Amino acid sequence: MYCNQRPEKPGVKKGMLEKINNMARANSLWVTAYGTGCGAIELRPLGTSRFDMERFGIAMRPTPRQADVLIISGYLATKTLKRVIRVYEQIQDPKYIIALGSCTINGGMYFDSYNTLNVLDKYLPVDVYVMGCMPRPEAVIDGFSLLMQKIKDGRAQGWKHYKENLDYYRENQKKIITDWDLPDYNW
Amino acid sequence: MIDKTKKELEIRFPLLKLVREMHNYLHVEVEKASAMDAILMAKTSLGFKTLQLISSVDRMEENLFQMTWILENYNNETTLLISARYPRENCIVPSLSDIWPAASAFEREIFEMFGISFPGNPREGEDFLLEGWKDIPPMRRDFLTEEYSMKLYGERQPREHLDPRQYIGDMVGEWNTPMGQKRKEEK
Repeated sequence: MYCNQRPEKPGVKKGMLEKINNMARANSLWVTAYGTGCGAIELRPLGTSRFDMERFGIAMRPTPRQADVLIISGYLATKTLKRVIRVYEQIQDPKYIIALGSCTINGGMYFDSYNTLNVLDKYLPVDVYVMGCMPRPEAVIDGFSLLMQKIKDGRAQGWKHYKENLDYYRENQKKIITDWDLPDYNW
Repeated sequence: MIDKTKKELEIRFPLLKLVREMHNYLHVEVEKASAMDAILMAKTSLGFKTLQLISSVDRMEENLFQMTWILENYNNETTLLISARYPRENCIVPSLSDIWPAASAFEREIFEMFGISFPGNPREGEDFLLEGWKDIPPMRRDFLTEEYSMKLYGERQPREHLDPRQYIGDMVGEWNTPMGQKRKEEK
């Protein structure tokens, strides 16, 4: 069962209540346990006692329905992009994307590969990029703190941009996924 | 150990070419008509009961594909490599999937990456790694990877300014702290 309607345009919310909501959102970032590429290896130490991401309120969740953050950890093949779109659209609003590694920024060492995409933000709205190949867990935590700051300031609006410019993103996605068999809207 | 294998193969296939020999390793090249006979003989009478890998090399200058079957004998820990050369246009190689069911996966991958057809494989033509591929097979050497990647995925445009404050603006890390805010206001 999928929703077969276009997403509603999200309204602009301001005021004290929204600030309190944003504060709560920033301090309980729940991450979908989904890894693409080699960056998934760097995320495992984040949960251990040395780096301990739970002191920032970051926790791993088993399904996208319970999560707010999707981490694109490393190079993304076109075959994987199909699954990532499916996962991203199933996350409840508000949702954020953190992209790790130089592969998501400009292709990295796979810039001339026939199967990995070079510029991620043509296909999905990215809130925070973390550079490195691969970034160390400290750098990932720095990226998370930047995302928290953006949420508190009300600047992490990637999910709104995705809903408002859905046609642009769909056009780019369908250009590289030649056997498109997903439902049009799967939230 | 490997001497006995070599002797028996030389008696049966007089046109056999020796590529490399070590104390537990033998690489031979046979005519393409007798490749299947050599593999069957290695399995039934020489004890090489395990298929490790099927690989293919594109020899574009000679207009050939070199196929290699890697067999293993676990009783005396010896490895046998049997190679054969096939013409490059409309290349057809007999399938081994009724002898070793595991060969089916290797043959599907080679079909996808090189376009070599294996009649007799029950799952031939199913998607293995690439979904919806429409160009010429990507591991052929006349496939231009970089050109394909630039055409389909594009490149990120380089920065116009080299000063990070020009494009990151408020997101520079040092300004996110309370002390940084004070310093920013002073500027």
